[in-house]
Amino acid sequence: MIQIGVVLPRLFAEGATELQVQVALESGSLTALVGPSGSGKTTLLRLLAGLETPRTGRITVDEAVWFDKKEGINWLPQQRSIGYVFQDTALFPNMTVRENVTYAAPKDQFDFVNELIEGTGLEPFVDQKPGRLSGGQRQRVALARALVRRPKLLLLDEPFAALDAQSSQQLQQVLVKLHQRWQTTTLLVSHHDADVQALADRVIRLVEGHIQSDELIVNRPIDPLMQERITQIEYDENRQHWVIETTNSRLQSVIPAWGQLKVGDILQLAGITQEMSVDRGV
Amino acid sequence: MPIDWDPIWLTLRLAGITTVLLLLISVPLAGWLALSRFRLKPVVEAFISLPLVLPPSVVGFYLLLAFSPTSAFGAWLLQTVNLQLVFSFEGLVVASLIYSLPFMVHPVQAGLENLPASWREASYTLGQSPVRTLVRVLLPNCKPALLTGIVLTFAHTIGEFGLVLMIGGNLPDQTRVASIAIYDEVELLHFDTAHAYAALLLAISFAILLLVYGINKRVTV
Repeated sequence: MIQIGVVLPRLFAEGATELQVQVALESGSLTALVGPSGSGKTTLLRLLAGLETPRTGRITVDEAVWFDKKEGINWLPQQRSIGYVFQDTALFPNMTVRENVTYAAPKDQFDFVNELIEGTGLEPFVDQKPGRLSGGQRQRVALARALVRRPKLLLLDEPFAALDAQSSQQLQQVLVKLHQRWQTTTLLVSHHDADVQALADRVIRLVEGHIQSDELIVNRPIDPLMQERITQIEYDENRQHWVIETTNSRLQSVIPAWGQLKVGDILQLAGITQEMSVDRGV
Repeated sequence: MPIDWDPIWLTLRLAGITTVLLLLISVPLAGWLALSRFRLKPVVEAFISLPLVLPPSVVGFYLLLAFSPTSAFGAWLLQTVNLQLVFSFEGLVVASLIYSLPFMVHPVQAGLENLPASWREASYTLGQSPVRTLVRVLLPNCKPALLTGIVLTFAHTIGEFGLVLMIGGNLPDQTRVASIAIYDEVELLHFDTAHAYAALLLAISFAILLLVYGINKRVTV
């Protein structure tokens, strides 16, 4: 669980004078941060990464306190377990794709690096410099690089902003695959509703530095061929939704019918929107 | 018209040693200036830039006072490491380091500051230290700035005159560099010899600059 409560002085276009965010992110969740330009989305990512310092507040990740103004705690970006995909990708132009990905890799993690390169579909380009890659390929390299240290929190700043529809779709597929594989808690800044609907299980709308809305997304598009066995099911009284964990996924819904599901059921998530069938006891 | 080649070699030796030492000193210094938010940074920057605006005779005068064996610093150097910086080649090197410092620091600092901040931040978020970030990411991506600093330092040291005269005087094989030799020969009305030295310096300087601009065009990251 990641608990965020931060305040930072910032002048917004409509006159608000501070960014003030109080939110909790569940482990393994993929949360989209949306809102108009200049609403503080990127600033929030930078505060979490330690690239900017809140005036007051507290940031905790599991048991670790990354920032606490009162206690004088402020971990450096290097100390925080984060992966950050910058809007401009920030790939190092003097290094090849493989060198970019391995730059921060722990020494005994070559298999993991290869798995990441394979998972992001970068094998054909591993020996090329970033300058020769397309926008989508660059974003995939940035994503692989950000995951190489197995961060607790993955921060994605507008990864789809400069991509065409096809590249965006490819990146989404990679992102979903990696998220299902490693369940890294992810905060995604995006302007595109389609990306948000396809990827996120929760959407937070930030306006003028304040949270305007905070909604769970149910029935998001899922791989139609995916079949997964339910390992846990519970009703979250506070949030008033069902939480189902399968072998690879964590699903949330406010649909009452989910209450009929049981541990051991096989979930077959058909179609790209709302159909869901249950095959019991298989 | 035979010329004494010693002043030329001495000049090249002085410029070469100064450039190598300044590269070692300036890269971390420029890195610190480019990346640091230290409050007194402007004071440090002003000190480094002083040789750009001061006449060489002013810098030379104060260095002469500081290096003199009658000064506390000069006496200490002489007693502890048996080093006399006035009227010696070592003194010329130290003076050149101080006088040419901004010619190395400024281009490298500017080169580092012009790189996208996101490269540095990306490296930090990947858990890497500022030193490793500087060495692995930032410096390799500002090769033209490094090259500019190296060339400016080398060329500036070759052309030093006033400071060399103040600190080193005119001792053959020790402090008589090419610019001093030209001055000497002109004073003695040996215009042919002076012309030979001057033409050599001109040719060397032009060749270095040509080489640098040629390389700079081909440097890609």
